Amino acid sequence: MPDNQHSFIIPDDQSISALVSLLQKTFSVRVQAETVYHRVFYDTFDWRLTKNGAMLEVHDDGKSPRIYWRADKDGKLKIQLGLRKVPRLAADLPACELRQQLQSVIAVRELLPRIKIRIKRQSLAVLDKNEKVVVRLNLDVYWYSPSKLRAAKVLTRRLTIKAVKGYAEDYQRVEAFFVDMQLQSAFDNVMKLALITSGVSTGEYTTSLKLRLDPDMPDEQALKIILLRLLEIMQQNTAGSIKGKDTEFMHDYRVVIRKIRVLLKQLDHYHPQAISTEYKRFFSRLGKLTNPVRDLDVFLLQLDNYQPDVEKSGWQQLQALRDYLLLSRTEAQNKFVEEVKSSQYRETIKQWRDYLERSATQNDTADKPGKAVCKLADELLWDINQQTLKQGKTITDNSDAETLHNLRKTFKQLRYLTEFFSSLYPAVELRVLIQTLTDVQDNLGVFNDRHIQMGMVKAFINQSKNKEAIKTAEQIIEILEQQQHEAGKNFKENYAAYASSGSQKQFKEMFVDYRRGKMKL
Amino acid sequence: MKTIAIYNIKGGVGKTATAVNLSFLASLDGANTLLWDLDPQGAASFYCRIKAEVKGGGKKLIDGKTDIEEAVKGTDYENLDLLPADFTYRNLDTFLGQIKDPVNRFNNLLKPFAEEYDYIFLDCPPSISSLSESVFAAADIVLVPTIPTTLSLRTYQQIIEFFQQQGIDQSKVLPFFVMVDRRKKMHRLILQHPPSFMSSLLKSYIPYASEVERMGMHRAPLTVFAARSRAAQCYTSMWDELRLHIHLLD
Repeated sequence: MPDNQHSFIIPDDQSISALVSLLQKTFSVRVQAETVYHRVFYDTFDWRLTKNGAMLEVHDDGKSPRIYWRADKDGKLKIQLGLRKVPRLAADLPACELRQQLQSVIAVRELLPRIKIRIKRQSLAVLDKNEKVVVRLNLDVYWYSPSKLRAAKVLTRRLTIKAVKGYAEDYQRVEAFFVDMQLQSAFDNVMKLALITSGVSTGEYTTSLKLRLDPDMPDEQALKIILLRLLEIMQQNTAGSIKGKDTEFMHDYRVVIRKIRVLLKQLDHYHPQAISTEYKRFFSRLGKLTNPVRDLDVFLLQLDNYQPDVEKSGWQQLQALRDYLLLSRTEAQNKFVEEVKSSQYRETIKQWRDYLERSATQNDTADKPGKAVCKLADELLWDINQQTLKQGKTITDNSDAETLHNLRKTFKQLRYLTEFFSSLYPAVELRVLIQTLTDVQDNLGVFNDRHIQMGMVKAFINQSKNKEAIKTAEQIIEILEQQQHEAGKNFKENYAAYASSGSQKQFKEMFVDYRRGKMKL
Repeated sequence: MKTIAIYNIKGGVGKTATAVNLSFLASLDGANTLLWDLDPQGAASFYCRIKAEVKGGGKKLIDGKTDIEEAVKGTDYENLDLLPADFTYRNLDTFLGQIKDPVNRFNNLLKPFAEEYDYIFLDCPPSISSLSESVFAAADIVLVPTIPTTLSLRTYQQIIEFFQQQGIDQSKVLPFFVMVDRRKKMHRLILQHPPSFMSSLLKSYIPYASEVERMGMHRAPLTVFAARSRAAQCYTSMWDELRLHIHLLD
């Protein structure tokens, strides 16, 4: 609590008017007009601010919102700004310290109003003998509703005394008055109070599967559990992806589609033929619709980074390329939205959920292998690991982008499957293997991203008549080529580490020997 | 933090009324605002019901012997503080003249406020001196209230020439018309055809109004006791226009 103010909790049995009367008996008090305002606490969909001990609060009286930023662990106010419009992305703010600090925590995520509290305020002023205001008091009733469907209830009632500069003695007298009344000081912050009331957990959203599979669980049952969790993540990200402001929703949505597709591809014999064919087609179509949106998001987000590498005269021309990419993104996004908002999409998702929720004991699979999930995981992971090595051997300096992309897809399959079955393996050792995989996958990812981005810039060049813009775009292609080349070099190193006998021994120990009790951990 | 000086060589043109009303409107936006009454007459301090007195006087303030932050007083309005006038401010020029780099010293005086305040309004005394030079250098905006008469326009021209001579950035000077009486032909003419040297003239102007004089009686900004008056509304329009200008400075 700042040293120039002190908040007390107004006891339930104390009415505001009685408190005012009591005060008026001792001090000369001016009662001011009652006001109403809102305190809105913003955070990202996945509560990044709260998880990082930061707080972004907006006081909105309907006229001029004021933004308060607290990033210190002690909750001290770091920055306050008067704004006409509350920023939704860090990039909406002009270049300033708040933008920098905010970006370091939320990156590209959108700020959403997570907790909104309505405050009915009765302000009072204590006057001296010259009728000068020497102390300010606010009597606040906080109203909060955890959801639109529930009526707002009183969250807390607070009395706050605020010092007026230069009148410290008067402040101390008023403070002593309330301390003598034995009012309890209010130290907690109202956002936490609201969170407790609503029962919302700030750790509730994660893209991690967080599944604990029983190693002896029947494989089909385990697969359905994984697919259900993936569907849950997909649905959590659907609305945000449709809105399209926060690019992370689309990122998470696309990743989950890929994960589902990996499971459908690798284990299609676990589903009836008709189901397998229908949903492979459905998720493949979604993949095709989301790919361009996400690819364009990635490129747009990194476009500014290229500015220092482009000749200064071409900085303005970058805007032409940006406009082109934005237009392409809007077109791709519209196609995606049209699909996801269709009744057919809703129906397919519903049927998919129904299918997954049906008990695994029901005989709806054509050819049920019926083994323990740990055995399935071992076989599958080892098999794909071997596939990566087989494909990796064919890679040379002259390999084309498509060959590398195919290898990347196999690595992704291995990476995702490792994640699905991670609870079946010792965590620390598995993490080491995943890191080896991630390094290779990241290199291949950059390689592929640059390939796609060069294609986008070339498409821009083909349709542009602006010579200056084309010149700048050609410089961008050079940069992308250089980065692709770099990623290729790094891939070689990381792949060599992955394929080395040391690493492969660890893979074998994990996926072959561990279950047989031969693994030395 | 943005520093806005309200200045004119001439007295009685409504500098203090402008400083008090605009700083109050800024504070109404929720912006932390400080009004520094630099005029030894202490009219802004009077309007704010605060005694025009600084412990140790102006010299100790300039010398850094008085903690400038300690000298600040809260007004009757939330978010609006005042650094009061002191009668010794009549000698501020002499004090500043005695030190090596007066412009820099004055600028340094404002530095402790940079973190706490969004705006500092400087209500300047009517003179042209070391103090005004320091104010011109420190301010982001110099508002010049000007009566639409020939002599007042001439005074404004002198201010601009002074900026040119001293090599101070002229773009920070924003003149506006004040005490406008539309019954007077000259006022109407000047309003319709402002001289070319007033290229940065604000669109908003303040009419001649008895409410402005009544500020002394109420010892409060116009918006507090006559919010619906034309003069109060004109100050609100001016603050809106100024805010836009400040936004462009960022």
